[in-house]
Amino acid sequence: MPAKDNTALSGSRFSNVDNKSGISKLFDKAGVYVIALCLVILGIIVSPTKFLTPDNLLNILRAVGMLGITACGLSFVIYSSQMADMSVPSAMAFSGIITVQFLHLGFVPAIILGIIFGMLIGLVNGIVVGYFRANAILWTLAMQFGMEGIMRYVWSGNQLYPDLEPGTSGAAFVNIFRLEVFGIPFLIIVMIVLYIIADIIMKKTKFGNQLKLVGSAIDAAKCTGINVRKTVLYAFLISSFTASIAGIFITSMNKLGVYYLGEGYDFKSVTAIVIGGMALSGGRGNIWGVLGGVLVMGLLNNILTFIGIPTAVQNVFIGLVFIAVVALHTYKLRKVGKDYA
Amino acid sequence: MLKKCFGVILVMSLVVTIFTGCGTKDKAEKTDSGKTSVSDNADGQSNLEQSKEIDVFSIIGSDGQPLILPTEKKEVPERPEDPKALAEEEAGHWWDIEYAGWTTEKENLPKSPADGAIGKKVVLLKAGDHPYWTAYVNGFTQIAEAYDIDFKILNGNWNMDLQSQQVDQAINEKPDAVIFAPVDATACAPLMRKINQAGIPIIASNTIPAEAAMKYCTAWTGPDDWGQFRMIARHFADEMGKKGGYAIVRHMPGSSPYFARTFAPITELVEYAPDMELLAMDTANLEAEATMQLVSDWITKYGDDLKGLILAGDGFSMTGTEEALKNTGREDIVVVAAGNCKTGMDAVKNGVCSGITYQSAEGDGAIALYTAVRFFNGEELDPVAYLPRHIITADDVDNYMPAQW
Repeated sequence: MPAKDNTALSGSRFSNVDNKSGISKLFDKAGVYVIALCLVILGIIVSPTKFLTPDNLLNILRAVGMLGITACGLSFVIYSSQMADMSVPSAMAFSGIITVQFLHLGFVPAIILGIIFGMLIGLVNGIVVGYFRANAILWTLAMQFGMEGIMRYVWSGNQLYPDLEPGTSGAAFVNIFRLEVFGIPFLIIVMIVLYIIADIIMKKTKFGNQLKLVGSAIDAAKCTGINVRKTVLYAFLISSFTASIAGIFITSMNKLGVYYLGEGYDFKSVTAIVIGGMALSGGRGNIWGVLGGVLVMGLLNNILTFIGIPTAVQNVFIGLVFIAVVALHTYKLRKVGKDYA
Repeated sequence: MLKKCFGVILVMSLVVTIFTGCGTKDKAEKTDSGKTSVSDNADGQSNLEQSKEIDVFSIIGSDGQPLILPTEKKEVPERPEDPKALAEEEAGHWWDIEYAGWTTEKENLPKSPADGAIGKKVVLLKAGDHPYWTAYVNGFTQIAEAYDIDFKILNGNWNMDLQSQQVDQAINEKPDAVIFAPVDATACAPLMRKINQAGIPIIASNTIPAEAAMKYCTAWTGPDDWGQFRMIARHFADEMGKKGGYAIVRHMPGSSPYFARTFAPITELVEYAPDMELLAMDTANLEAEATMQLVSDWITKYGDDLKGLILAGDGFSMTGTEEALKNTGREDIVVVAAGNCKTGMDAVKNGVCSGITYQSAEGDGAIALYTAVRFFNGEELDPVAYLPRHIITADDVDNYMPAQW
């Protein structure tokens, strides 16, 4: 069956969900950006002269750059109905450590090796979850613990420092995070490019259509001859690819590689994706919504700091937003007879 | 099926490559310390005599500093009647934490065998893995080798339940002493009681346990966080001309440095530089990205009123702060931090940071075991033994290179 037909099939599954009034549809389409707009207005009210300055907005973007990259890849896993990839932190740390370890081979080979080794985690995840049908959350959690243990053992829990002498690969490596192109941080440019590519993959390719069908109606996908196992494998590979890229940035930022870099990016990424309107049950949402979710998290942290709310309480806010969004999804789905969001 | 096998083989071969090619477990790369070990001593002497003759003060750590420096005593002021009734900005409010252990009434402490340390058996219960703790174990190991001490290290992995099981394991080992770095300062009390009831002496290390636990400890050794941060607060005030607004990036919530590295400077500056104003304090969980965002937001919010920053860590907190200062063009802000990892020392060297506290991780591990040695030798111990206090500045940072972690 052609990919277009697959889309039509998956679309029909949720036809009753999509059958809404114009305002409701608009909110569904731009929901997260409506929230972002509300937050911008709140920011202007809280700090009329300081919030809407280019420097502050750039700071917000810088702060969520790496989160944006990890969320971009992880959204493929969630879109494929695999709930989450909890091994994102280990892929980040591993790619960073490997890159620093092999900097003596040269800048480019080290980066390539870092990404390849990081993606190995995705490969294993994809094989075990896709081919052996292991529970994605449990398996990736186990992978996270296992990889953390391996990194701690192999490098004795030490931090790996690149050689920072001018002209060395190490010096070039730590500049990746600090690089700016026409005043815009390279990190932000990479993030935007990844979202554009992700959008094209999801909307314009056969793989994107198959992923949507796998995520929304796996049995139907199997009936149409889609190789579900391979599709899930690719989703995990994409997730580990972006996690590796984020890992290289975070290692470059910290000027060292260590096993615990990237901690917390699993849950933060899932939160951004869910806030962005992507359903944990798969097959619904879009990649620009995910970017919106990332921006909402950055804006929330920024505004709450302006108000003077401590970080610990900010986490409570983010957690509450997560719960509220999941509850809303669940409510909407239950109204049409589905079980979970 | 063929592809599946290929994938598995590829993964396995790459994993093997890591283990064989990248491992940096250079056990042979020990510091050439010129130490005197037990094997160098003349025969015919008793264990105690040989033990007392070993000169560990000449052992040099990986940072070029002596591994063991004379420990510091502290003047303990009289305890306020009700510390908690005082405001948080008053030093007396923190008396019970700052002077923990000095006035503790000990309970059921084992007596020293006074027969020397050589060949004794010791178990180290360490809190978890971290580069600081890797250096800690390096220092510990060097002292153990100097005295030919048979030791076992159990890693609590930052998990209190695991450490609780390890306490039973340690007791079963029937060691001559336990060095205990607790995961949780309060929850360790029953564990210490259990070890104490087994008749095993405890040297608590690094994290100050609660009073209920301290009474079972023969001694506590570790950094004087409060003293160090009072010292660096004065340095900070001098650098700022004793005026201007400042903010504090705090440690992990709930940990003892979370309080010490916040309220030691606050209470000290109230006395030493009353014109300085605390604008904000918050934690970024010692993460670079979170610190970058927090400090950037503070700079946007407070603008030129923000003149100085105190960081509870000189690692990722320093990296995040450095980025925030550079991005906002505010490299005029005075920064001080708790040290002394490589990132912090580099920051001092390149002028981003005005000063960091000297806290030798290797010395921390070494002093704990050396205190046990003194116990085996029958020496009288202070209840608390602090690592020496010092502020590393641009003037002497080279003396502390290379960094221990």
